[in-house]
Amino acid sequence: MSEFLRAYLTVAVFAAFAGLLIAGVLGLSRLIRPNRPTPQKLLTYESGVDPVGSGFSQSQVRYYIFALLFVMFDVEAVFIFPWAMRLELYQVFGLVEMAVFIVILVFGLVYAWRKGVLRWV
Amino acid sequence: MLSFVQPNIDYHALAPELVLVGALLLILLVDLVFEDRARWATSSLAGLGLLAALIPIITLAVNGHDRSMFGGAYVVDNFALVMKAVFLLAGYVVVLMSTDYIGEGDYYEGEYYFMLLSSLFGMLIMASARDLISIFIALETLSIPAYLLAGWRKRDLKGNEASLKYYLLGVFASAVMLYGMSLIFGVTGSTVLTDIRDGLGSGESVPIITVGILFVVIGFAFKVSAVPFHTWAPDTYEGAPTPITAFLSVASKAAGFVALLELVFIAFEGHEEVWKPLFWILAAITMTVGNLIALRQTNVVRMLAYSSVAQAGYMLAPFAIAGDLSGGNVGAIKAVVTYLIIYAAMNLGAFAVVIAVARKTRSAELSSFGGLFEYAPGLAVLLAAFVFALAGIPPLGGWYAKLAILNVLIDASTPWATVLAVVVAVNSVIALFYYASVAREMLMRPVADGDRTPVTIPASLAASIGLCAVSTIAIGVAPNLIARFSDLAHFVS
Amino acid sequence: MDVGASWYLVLAAMIFAIGALGLMVRRNPLVMFMCIELMLNAVNLTFVTFSRELNDIGGQVIVFFVLVVAAAEVTVGLGIIVAILRRRPGITADDVSALKG
Repeated sequence: MSEFLRAYLTVAVFAAFAGLLIAGVLGLSRLIRPNRPTPQKLLTYESGVDPVGSGFSQSQVRYYIFALLFVMFDVEAVFIFPWAMRLELYQVFGLVEMAVFIVILVFGLVYAWRKGVLRWV
Repeated sequence: MLSFVQPNIDYHALAPELVLVGALLLILLVDLVFEDRARWATSSLAGLGLLAALIPIITLAVNGHDRSMFGGAYVVDNFALVMKAVFLLAGYVVVLMSTDYIGEGDYYEGEYYFMLLSSLFGMLIMASARDLISIFIALETLSIPAYLLAGWRKRDLKGNEASLKYYLLGVFASAVMLYGMSLIFGVTGSTVLTDIRDGLGSGESVPIITVGILFVVIGFAFKVSAVPFHTWAPDTYEGAPTPITAFLSVASKAAGFVALLELVFIAFEGHEEVWKPLFWILAAITMTVGNLIALRQTNVVRMLAYSSVAQAGYMLAPFAIAGDLSGGNVGAIKAVVTYLIIYAAMNLGAFAVVIAVARKTRSAELSSFGGLFEYAPGLAVLLAAFVFALAGIPPLGGWYAKLAILNVLIDASTPWATVLAVVVAVNSVIALFYYASVAREMLMRPVADGDRTPVTIPASLAASIGLCAVSTIAIGVAPNLIARFSDLAHFVS
Repeated sequence: MDVGASWYLVLAAMIFAIGALGLMVRRNPLVMFMCIELMLNAVNLTFVTFSRELNDIGGQVIVFFVLVVAAAEVTVGLGIIVAILRRRPGITADDVSALKG
């Protein structure tokens, strides 16, 4: 077997393992859980809102703060990825620098939390 | 295998920025932990933080030698130190002005000072940035909090509008500037300003270089509110809380000029045929249009807004004569820095007095200043002093600033420079009309609503007026003080 | 067909022009935001193209910073827009004109 295919074999083994794991967990829970379907439970889950009406509808403005927070923290992660790829190279210096960066981000999160933005209204 | 060389971080050189970041995080923390109980303390914390950040600047200045970090991208030299000191002092005066203004409204005090210090932090970086990325990051760090500060009265439609206009034009300008930077990066393959100078070389420009330089300069022309990119300024200045108006018209504008000085005199030095005519036109129309529109204003804040547009025109003039001076460009840079420092003192002072008067009259209309001399002679004299300083009348600080600009224009001794000097002189006369109209209103007109109760001035506001008045008069009487500081500011090697 | 760097640069210039034009003619604040994003992404494309041409990773590093700053700008801008829309529903940029002179 060529080196190329051997590399893909690892991927295949991982995929099979992942599939088995999901099937096993879901199958097990299906076996042991009670099953009492109601119309409410069978609805498609859409961020806690009943999926009624047309596809183009106005959403609650209160979601926008979550969206903004998500955008900010999501984008900050762009700095963490390259750092994580080369962590062993940067050693303690890199660790400290990233800790400083993340601590400052945490300030933002703490602010949002204290202001009650993270609470579901 | 890639190798990684740990960058040499000079903590002494970074100390002003670190102190400032410490102070602003502390303010955020105090606001979050103690909430309403300690909100009054945030303004004192902000003031103390700014003064504490001045200490390392003094030790760095005493120490004397230039420090350079990150491959020349971050430089702490005398120019950077002088500008940082100006930013911090201007910030301190704005905090003093804000203390009661913000404390009495139903505003978010903790966040206000947090944003103010964040914006100042961006300005400190700008003073040291010698690299396109650092300049861009500094510009955004100082602008984004400023967009929010402009709309601080969020339930007031005028505040919203001020914020929206400033925001839309601000981000448009930074996109234009970035596009210019990307072209310059493409031509030179570097982001460090000195490498860009070497990469661009001198001589004939190819179109891509011309477009790049043009876009970058136009981007910053928005920031310093040069005509025809000034349209946001009067509306934003009127709608924003008055201390923030003072902050934007002084500190934010100064930061734009710092960036222009760095970019134009270091990176684009070899291509003056591209930017010299541009600056000539910008300077001439900025001062003329600013002054002519200011003549028609009936609101003092709006008048000061157009006056600050016109003042930007004077400061743009030395850019237009670069290369014509016998002593190199240092003279032009010195003239701009001198003007910036003096302008900061007198403009902040004028706004501080307007805030004090508006505490009683609740208005910034010119008519509400009627008869101010009768019931608040101290304030009236001070406001007259500040506007006459802005007009350039000796012995108040402004004359030396004007003289510095006119001096370099005449020294350049080219026909174009002489014409520009004449334009500056004519504009100074036009400006005298509207500056004098403020004084006339206070002295000769009747009290607007017959209410002659004296104006009560809180201690911190009085301190800010006092600081500005002392520096405006001291510079006017002994201009050698400022000459010494701006002498330090030759950073072109 | 050979697609060289100049193709990308021309594409970026066109996207930038579309964004700038859109910002000037459109009056819906949200569409104006999108136009700003368009301009910033044109800048990113230019940086990445040059970065590849010059074999210099610096250009791609700038793109990271531009992305983050763009996100911060949009967050602030949406905050301002929501503050205005709460006061005056259905507003356009032309309606925001309490300040004149």
